[in-house]
Amino acid sequence: MENKMQVRDLTISFRTSNGKVQAVRGINFDLAKGETLSIVGESGSGKSVTSKAILGILAGNAIIEGGEIIYDGKDLLKISEDEFHKIRGDKIAMIFQDPMSSLNPIVKIGRQLTEAMLLKGKARQRESRETFNTYLKDLNQSMIEACEKGTKAQIDKLTKKCRDFDKFEYKHLELESAYNVARESAIEAADDIENLVFQMEKKAAKDASFRMKNIARLAKASVQEYVVKEKADQLKHLAAQIQKESGKVKKAGCDYTVAIQMLKELQAILKEAIDFPMPNFFAMGYCLTFGKEALPKLSVPELNVYMRKYLDDHFMLDFIADAKQGIIHAANISYQNKEKAIVALKEKLPVFEKESLVSKESYDALKYMAAAVKATINKLEIVKDSLSYTFESGVKGELDKYFASIGKNKKEEAKYAKAKAKYDRLVQRGKEPDWKVAAAQITDLELVRKNIVRQITRLIENYETSLAKRDQRDYDAETVATIDYLKANASGVVNKVTKQIAKNKAIKLMEEVGIAEPRKRYNQYPFEFSGGMRQRIVIAIALAANPDILICDEPTTALDVTIQSQILELINNLKRERQLSVIFITHDLGVVANMADRIAVMYAGKIVEYGTAEDIFYHAAHPYTWALLSSMPDLDTNEKLEAIPGTPPNMIYPPVGDAFAARNKYAMKIDFEKQPPMFKITDSHYAATWLLHPDAPKVEPPRIMTERIARMEKRRAKDAE
Amino acid sequence: MQNNQEVLLKVEHLCQYFGDVKAVDDVSFDIKKGEVFGLVGESGCGKTTTGRSIIKLYDITSGSVFFKGVRIAAGKRSYVKAIADAKKEYKEKITAVGDSAEKTRLQAELDKIIADNKAQIKIANYDQKHCDKEYSKIRVKEVDEKYRPLIEKASGQEKAKLQAEYKNELRKAKKTKLVTQIQMIFQDPIASLDPRMTVRDIIAEGLVIQGEKDKKVIEEKVYEMLELVGLVREHATRYPHEFSGGQRQRIGVARSIIMNPELIIADEPVSALDVSIQAQVINLLNDLREKFGLTILFVAHDLSVVKYFSDRIGVMYFGKMVELAPADELFLNPLHPYTRSLLSSIPLPDPIYEKQRKRIIYQPLADHDYSVDKPSFREVKPGHFVQCNDAEYEKYMSILK
Repeated sequence: MENKMQVRDLTISFRTSNGKVQAVRGINFDLAKGETLSIVGESGSGKSVTSKAILGILAGNAIIEGGEIIYDGKDLLKISEDEFHKIRGDKIAMIFQDPMSSLNPIVKIGRQLTEAMLLKGKARQRESRETFNTYLKDLNQSMIEACEKGTKAQIDKLTKKCRDFDKFEYKHLELESAYNVARESAIEAADDIENLVFQMEKKAAKDASFRMKNIARLAKASVQEYVVKEKADQLKHLAAQIQKESGKVKKAGCDYTVAIQMLKELQAILKEAIDFPMPNFFAMGYCLTFGKEALPKLSVPELNVYMRKYLDDHFMLDFIADAKQGIIHAANISYQNKEKAIVALKEKLPVFEKESLVSKESYDALKYMAAAVKATINKLEIVKDSLSYTFESGVKGELDKYFASIGKNKKEEAKYAKAKAKYDRLVQRGKEPDWKVAAAQITDLELVRKNIVRQITRLIENYETSLAKRDQRDYDAETVATIDYLKANASGVVNKVTKQIAKNKAIKLMEEVGIAEPRKRYNQYPFEFSGGMRQRIVIAIALAANPDILICDEPTTALDVTIQSQILELINNLKRERQLSVIFITHDLGVVANMADRIAVMYAGKIVEYGTAEDIFYHAAHPYTWALLSSMPDLDTNEKLEAIPGTPPNMIYPPVGDAFAARNKYAMKIDFEKQPPMFKITDSHYAATWLLHPDAPKVEPPRIMTERIARMEKRRAKDAE
Repeated sequence: MQNNQEVLLKVEHLCQYFGDVKAVDDVSFDIKKGEVFGLVGESGCGKTTTGRSIIKLYDITSGSVFFKGVRIAAGKRSYVKAIADAKKEYKEKITAVGDSAEKTRLQAELDKIIADNKAQIKIANYDQKHCDKEYSKIRVKEVDEKYRPLIEKASGQEKAKLQAEYKNELRKAKKTKLVTQIQMIFQDPIASLDPRMTVRDIIAEGLVIQGEKDKKVIEEKVYEMLELVGLVREHATRYPHEFSGGQRQRIGVARSIIMNPELIIADEPVSALDVSIQAQVINLLNDLREKFGLTILFVAHDLSVVKYFSDRIGVMYFGKMVELAPADELFLNPLHPYTRSLLSSIPLPDPIYEKQRKRIIYQPLADHDYSVDKPSFREVKPGHFVQCNDAEYEKYMSILK
């Protein structure tokens, strides 16, 4: 499976007045495309901190001590805030726990839903234009470079091709967006009719008159050359009639038979229109812009074949061939530079492998390496699958931290010594001071140095693998992808997000997340919504941007069962439809059984157990997972629940051994002395507990849990019959 | 405990409207002494409002609430509506008949109906306002009866002591409110504790308001409560922010049981807590219930917890009670489509089963046909009530057979 995100050795602390709180202590996990990874743990176990680090919204007093979060070839811990703007919300979205505080109480729901769409729409339009232009220019440049011995005429021809592409692409989008608007109104009208007719038959239709008018309006809007063409007159006539009829159904309990019949007729026409095949607008754009003769009168599938052929003969095949040459050329240059960069990186690596770094030498080495790395960047690559982009800023950040902390430490240490002396003096006098000595906040220099070395070696590895795969590249496919990419960007330019479009989209989203009467709700304030409804709005906002990764931070904790299962189902469906990767954070193991593909159980900043849902629920190995599983009641529980005694440890002074040892009734002597490593149970299942050590005594998991598993097996067997 | 049939709380046709919103609409149930009554439903269905109406945080619109046989809350909307309906009905009748003697007779009938209903409104108003007064009168009488003979018999120092005690008790009795025997535990342990009060003040507040002035008595009581809920004496001087969520909820529990309540309304007491802490609080409530024979109205949306904790369960949907049955019976034979949909959405810690689980979706319009035959709340089996109409009643009966 394709990995979307990798988290490596993530370590995060918080600076507080009492000392440094170690919130996350070196966690590792991968997130594959289209999977749900669930992070389970008590409050304070560091699960929310992890998610916030991924989104780059850690609190001001957080210190990222080390590690990396690789997404889309970039290390999210090192990229600039500007780059993060393109990722946060757009690619990685988040649903927060508390729907009360994540909505603005004095702004209407509708505006909160559309706000981001409108802002992003404007930004995207600008950005798409830019990307499209620069990319086309780069491509053109590369194409020219590729034909070395090209005459002036040849070069001009190439340039003209690119310009033509730009021109007819614009026409294509105009046509397509007009088509989309019409088709969408047809779909909406048909849906509305279905609902309304159902309610009319049940005699429970509310404001039927208004809705019929609305349907008539939508139906009229759906008249377009390629949507409703032949039956346009009939449709218009029907719409007018419905409009007239709508005046008669104002009173409750009136006769709906005529209205229902009309609506059904209209629905039949619309349904036919919706199923109508879609013309190839890309080819049509070319034919209309550059074609000499008018389009022949053919059915849509035949027309598509004709236009496609016309486009290929006159333009596309040539253009693809040229673009392919350009892409190969750019890739080759990049490969050459990568070879050079490997040499440069290997040459300078020893500078950072020394025990202590020298300021000037390090910065010079960085400059040298950064230049070599920069040259490897291939602008024509669509999937920017390289660390090259973040290399310079990343290493520079670490270096700055390193040298800054060398200077700072002296001050901090002096302060610490003074405070400690005072404290000791007081203790000697037999007093018990009610304040504590804050530890000197020393950056772990060794860790910083290691981070730098790791970045360099990772880059070398990355280049080496890319060079090794050099012969396997499919340039034909890449060229097609490139042209699709150009098309997509061009559509971003034309697809303006107006208030009306944003509103329609918002209402559709509200419907999707299960809000009744979205049109009415659109103009209400958050206080008019119940908790579950508010959470739905929050989810709708998160989904508005169509993200890649969805982080759900306890999205259902504040909700009740029906809503909870609806929302879980919603997230599951969205995940399946959009190939979404989900990070699902919760303290309730019961919730994740049908959600999670894999589960990571966190305790005191560490992942203590890691495995598929089946591994965790049927073969849990860590005493903490046992405790979690046995402390929740299910429908057959009658005996006293096994609560976990005590509270999680104070992470200013993390325990020496296993953090869970103090609350663990299975704890052994070694648990208090040494941290357990991750023991491998199966290929997919790992746990960090000394109980898995070959020398450990054999213990049975709690009875309440084994009994439940047996019960579940019995029920499944019964269901299977 | 279920065998004890004494009814502690009786809710009759309770309605609570906020403007046009019918938050609670014609809900009736009773809670027997010593049982845990679970109230479930989705957010916004009115379960919290029901709890709050019982404890008189809201003035109810219509219906009545009886606690220990005393009407503690009464609404008058139904009487007002009856008057309006009668006026309308008789107006038509009066204009229809020509005979003047008949007219006066009808007018007299109407006047009587209006007068009756107005009297009812008056009674309701009085009950609503003065139920505590009535109860404190009873309490004063009880104290009187207890101490009078004792004081008469005693002499010297003992007499003085008894007299002081009598005075103290009398003052407390005068201030006693019936409603203080109902206590509430709130959902959010962070928001429900005043951050500027120490734990001692928070727990003792009820006692102080009730008229207890003896500091020693207060202190002892507070310590007793702290120990009861699994905290230690030293915690009394601390502030709420120094505690974790589970500990705070324990403080909330201590605050409510110090008043020696007969009924506790627990409004989602564990919803805001971590699973491991949830178990601690549920165990605590269970222990207290066994120790004091508490009666609890347990409002929650986590069905596994409600099932584990309650004797009987009422299911609410959009302000209406749709099904009411003993816990086991409800989970064994859910009848109302909404209850079925609710039960089908309980997540279980079993991934293989979970991945096949089909949620039943409840669509009131599609599932019921109430256009002709209106539904009502009927008993289909001893102790098992369902909101249904005639056709559905037949269906449910055949299912139960």
